[in-house]
Amino acid sequence: MPNLNPKSWPLAIKLSLTITAVVTAVGFMIGAVMVVQDWTRAHEVLGEKALLLSESVAITAPKAIVRKDFWSLYLGLKNLRSGSNEIISAMILDVEGRVQAHTHPAKNPMGLRFSPENELEMDLYGQAMGARKPVVFSSGGFDRAGFQEAVIPIFADQKYLGVVRVRLSVARLYEKAKTSALIVLALVLCFVIIGSALGTLVSRHMVKPLTAVTQGLEAVGRGEMTDFSPISIKGKDEIGRLSVTFNQIMVELAEKKMLEEEVAMSEKLVALGRITAGVAHEVNNPLAGLLNCIDTLRKHPNDKALFDRYLPVIDQGLHRIKEIVHNLLVGLRIEEGDEMVGIDHIDKLRDLIKAEIADRDIKVVWENQADRNLSISGKLEQIVYNLLRNAVEVLADGGVIHCRMYQKGSYLTIEVEDNGPGISAAIRNQLFDPFFTTKSNGTGLGLWVVYRLTQNLEGIIEVESEEGQGTTFHVSVPVAKAKAA
Amino acid sequence: MSLNVCLKSARLICLFLALAMTPGFAVAADAPIRFGLTAVVVTENLRFLDQWSDYLAAKMDREVELVLRKSYREVMDLLNSGAVDFAWICGFPYVQKRDPETVQLLTVPVYRGAPRYHSYIIVPHNSPYKRFSDLKGKIFAFSDPDSNSGFLYPLDLMVAREERPESYFRQTFFTFNHAETVQAVSEQFADGGAVDSYIWEYLASYRPDMTEKTRIIKKSPSFGFPPIVARSGLDQVTVELMKNTLENMSRDSAGQSLLSQLKLDGFGDYSDSLFNDIRAMANRVQIDDANFQVQLAE
Repeated sequence: MPNLNPKSWPLAIKLSLTITAVVTAVGFMIGAVMVVQDWTRAHEVLGEKALLLSESVAITAPKAIVRKDFWSLYLGLKNLRSGSNEIISAMILDVEGRVQAHTHPAKNPMGLRFSPENELEMDLYGQAMGARKPVVFSSGGFDRAGFQEAVIPIFADQKYLGVVRVRLSVARLYEKAKTSALIVLALVLCFVIIGSALGTLVSRHMVKPLTAVTQGLEAVGRGEMTDFSPISIKGKDEIGRLSVTFNQIMVELAEKKMLEEEVAMSEKLVALGRITAGVAHEVNNPLAGLLNCIDTLRKHPNDKALFDRYLPVIDQGLHRIKEIVHNLLVGLRIEEGDEMVGIDHIDKLRDLIKAEIADRDIKVVWENQADRNLSISGKLEQIVYNLLRNAVEVLADGGVIHCRMYQKGSYLTIEVEDNGPGISAAIRNQLFDPFFTTKSNGTGLGLWVVYRLTQNLEGIIEVESEEGQGTTFHVSVPVAKAKAA
Repeated sequence: MSLNVCLKSARLICLFLALAMTPGFAVAADAPIRFGLTAVVVTENLRFLDQWSDYLAAKMDREVELVLRKSYREVMDLLNSGAVDFAWICGFPYVQKRDPETVQLLTVPVYRGAPRYHSYIIVPHNSPYKRFSDLKGKIFAFSDPDSNSGFLYPLDLMVAREERPESYFRQTFFTFNHAETVQAVSEQFADGGAVDSYIWEYLASYRPDMTEKTRIIKKSPSFGFPPIVARSGLDQVTVELMKNTLENMSRDSAGQSLLSQLKLDGFGDYSDSLFNDIRAMANRVQIDDANFQVQLAE
């Protein structure tokens, strides 16, 4: 379906439509003026013709009226008719308004008073009888049935004898005017078509660089900048200057993008280095201890006490390495496997965390307002578990953990709030870095995993924290994603 | 002084001698024969008039000039003054008494086997009038104030009804042409009119569109057909020549062709008593022209 809102039409179309509209309006106005002028002039000419015809009758009429030679008067009017087929009616009336001759004798008997058919005729009759000078009456308007009527009073030796009325039909003028109106209309249409075509061409030509700029900017919006080809510059007007500027901007943007990509690449390398260093460091530390323990045990193979002391240490060290490797795997291979689970799985975390709290004095407040039928990614479960464990680890006795879940729009938001020591501003931007930890025995991978999983779910994670007041993590993930399956 | 008189007398005598020595027929041949007419049938048939004058000229070996006038009265004036030698006039002017008599009956056209015709009282074909009395107070068209069929006869009808002719109709007018009377009635300019039956029938075959719009409500008794007359005092040779030429027209093809155009059988020798009926009518009806607003010579 085409876009019906003119505001979003391309400039080229709007421009050419405007040109077309202007051309049409001007064409029609000129045409209308021509037709109206032609009509008016033809009317005047017809009026003059009626006057001439009346005059020709009025010249010979007095003698015939005086001598009551009605037949000559009648033949005179008849001759007018044979000379002009535009005559609707012609009549000669005497002082009293009695018909002396009429082109329609059957309806207007000679010798009787002329009887007008309607009010308009009555009015015209009154005016005609009152006329002492030649006048032309016009029916006015653009009407096929219109007429021009000439009225000439008849005088003989300054004595008023009556009046000649000759009425001519505008029907022929009307047909002519209609024909010329049609011709003008056709011309205007040709004009409009040619004008629109030219207008379209011109506006296309003018708007072409703008279209290129727009397309270029749209490509920038989509992040495509590699296949940018500079706009050809045609002229030094505003559009030309815009094109130049746009080309410069595009070149700069492309350079910037390249730079950004380089930076991103080096950042990736840095991160990789940090992870590698972290892994090396975190794994190396227990490994050194473990190797020492094993060395000592090998030297004293029969010292039972040493075994009892070192084996738990070895066990602990290996578990720590296992945890680190596990977390790394979770954090790095998050793309793999995304099973959907019911929202109630999250509620089970409550018991799990309570088990972790064991007999410490930490309170857990649980509010789940999300739709009970919602299914969520298993990854979300991992996210919440990590956040809860973090909270438990930072809290001292008397701590409170709030876990809230609710839906807002198409997002499911989970908030984990604690009233612990908070995070100092100095380290806030390192919070999600791998191997960054403030805890003596932390791996520094818990929040990194949370961050990676949230990213993977196309969610948003936010931290609100004030030193000494506590910390709140907000995780919002799209429900559509969570709901899938 | 007496010398002068003598000289003048001598010149006159010379002139007289010159004229007397020229043979009689040669004198007559120099001056054309002038023939007076009102509209023959319809005014437009000028080509026919040319053919007829050519025919007569050829037959008589004399130049013949046809003189057209609007009314019978004008033609009568021409006859009285000697400006025309012959004329085709109506029976009514023919029977009017003149002292001294200025015309003599020459010959009478024969129409449909007899030298007679009628007057028709006609009305528009769609009019409600059925009788002449229905036309009282209406508009009536007369042909010529000297026409028998177009004026005298309807006047006589009114006189017979003891009506005053001048106030019988609301409006009257003269068309001076029977064909135009038919036109006036057919176009409903007049509610009724009186026309020559010969003209009406002539139009019925050449202009049926006109006569179809009229209806005959009264047909008069037959009257003597409008005759050809010669002015009194015209030399008998010319009179006889014209009479013979006209009466012999039906004997040659050119003449027959002309007669057939006129829808006449020929011309015949009839006595003056043919017009007694018209004469009687003219005596009954005393016409005061002024009451009829007769409009003559323009």
